Amino acid sequence: MLRTQSTLLIAASTVVIAALAPLVMPINIATEILIFGIFAMSTNLLIGVSGLYSFGQAAFFGVGGYVAGYCFVHTDLPLSVGLLLAMLGSAVVAALVGAFSIRRTGIYFMMLTFAFNQMIYYLAYSWRAVTGGEDGLGGIRRPALEIPFVGNIDLGDHLNFYLVAAALFVASSILLFRLARSPLGLVLDAARQNPRRTASLGFSVYRAQWIAFVVAGAIAGLAGALFALLYRIMPIDAISWTSSGNVVFMVVIGGMSSILGPVLGAAIFIWLQGFFSLIWARWPLLFGVFIILVVLFLRGGVAELFDRARQAFTRKAPKPAIQGGSHD
Amino acid sequence: MIDAATTQAAIRAAAVPAAAPLLEAVGVTKKFGANVVIENLSIGFAPGMLHSILGPNGAGKTTLFNLLTRDLPVTSGEILLRGERITAMKPHQIARLGVGRSYQISSVYLDLSFLDNVWLAAYRAKHGGRMGWWKQVGAYGEIREQACEVLEKLGLTGFRDLPAKAVSYGDQRLLEIAVTLATNPDILLLDEPTAGLSQRETERVKNFIESIKQQYLIVMIEHKMNVVMEISDRVHVMNRGVLIASGTAAEISRDDAVHRAYFGL
Repeated sequence: MLRTQSTLLIAASTVVIAALAPLVMPINIATEILIFGIFAMSTNLLIGVSGLYSFGQAAFFGVGGYVAGYCFVHTDLPLSVGLLLAMLGSAVVAALVGAFSIRRTGIYFMMLTFAFNQMIYYLAYSWRAVTGGEDGLGGIRRPALEIPFVGNIDLGDHLNFYLVAAALFVASSILLFRLARSPLGLVLDAARQNPRRTASLGFSVYRAQWIAFVVAGAIAGLAGALFALLYRIMPIDAISWTSSGNVVFMVVIGGMSSILGPVLGAAIFIWLQGFFSLIWARWPLLFGVFIILVVLFLRGGVAELFDRARQAFTRKAPKPAIQGGSHD
Repeated sequence: MIDAATTQAAIRAAAVPAAAPLLEAVGVTKKFGANVVIENLSIGFAPGMLHSILGPNGAGKTTLFNLLTRDLPVTSGEILLRGERITAMKPHQIARLGVGRSYQISSVYLDLSFLDNVWLAAYRAKHGGRMGWWKQVGAYGEIREQACEVLEKLGLTGFRDLPAKAVSYGDQRLLEIAVTLATNPDILLLDEPTAGLSQRETERVKNFIESIKQQYLIVMIEHKMNVVMEISDRVHVMNRGVLIASGTAAEISRDDAVHRAYFGL
């Protein structure tokens, strides 16, 4: 199920996940998981698909959160416009950060994304009039969802808000799934494996990676906007580099090789965070142990468990014989 | 030294043939720090021919390719394609102008299937530099067919759905050539296409290159003398960053400078 091949299947899987989640956990936790699922999927477009190890994705999550927060505190803009502005704001910032960062590779790319994240964090920290600084941006209203011919739906109701988040979660998964299997996705995959060869085929690797960076930034911004709406406050922590690290953990825990792996990672991360913090005040220590175990023994993330289980079931099936090409 | 300089001039005159060269390096120098890898080299490749570049290890052959495709920038000098200056272009722009290249060390995408490896190249050839982001790779039937045809040409049809990492190095070398062909180039730069191949595979690649040489300008770096001597129209010999001889295979095999470079006489 984690490595589905068709758009229809991926749509069905995400709908099922979104439908089941509120049955097994409190609705706000389910909403948070879907929001971080969106964030983690967008980050995996960079880490897993493109091989761009960005440690600055919280900057775009944060910009989206602040833009949406500002709209819904200070203006009467409808939900759709606020969310679109949040995505646009994040996309613009990602376009700038990406234009500089993608010029470098490996550790230097990482450090650039990290440094930009820090800069944007301190900008948010100092610009109290707009962001609320250290105290966070509070008093964010959840505007009603206006649907033509149906009327207004009150998003103050947690279930209604969950449904909006779920719809955006399904839409984001489909977009990212299709993108990964489009020519652009194949170019990104190819450039991850061998950028020089990809350029010699005539593709602009820089342009492909920049597009991926902007798309990932815009979707992270959407997640940030939903996050601000969920708790009606945009805390400064959400834009800090630790938040960038957390989303990378989600991707690593869940697994990079499928579209839903990062969602699984987000769910486990949020669930474990809640669980460990209940049993011990120094919970990040336990959390660290868990991440080390995953990295050491489950390189493909928790999603790999599903693959292993499937392999165990199908082990007896004979492998298809390789038919010779050049040796005939 | 004066003697050597005049010889250089004579060789340069011989290396730039009367027919306007399609691809040309004019007085190029490449330095890595203080280390001069290519020194004031001029060489032109006339269309409709198979050119081979010979030379001992470290002669600067692969570096020359890297300068021609702008994988590396020149320190000085110019690279001309169809008489136009391409020295400052980026590698992907040069590729789009019809310069296809294969690498000395296989640079196929190990995690992609044979089909996807070739598909990417065929897609680029068909769509320029555009990269679609919604329609799925599997939905481009025409490009898939083209890719399959190229695989067929190299006898790789049986490997179509295997990842490149699952096959022998020899088969990866063949895939490398298939990928380069699928970009639909006018000019093929082949960097040791038979390196690491068995005798039988070498023979196959040699025959294949010979069979397509009418359709392309081919420039080939090659160490195997039998391959070079049997199929080349022009042979260029490099040593220590300079061109020491250019001519037909027969002329080169009689050339004293070549003997000196190879045997230290």
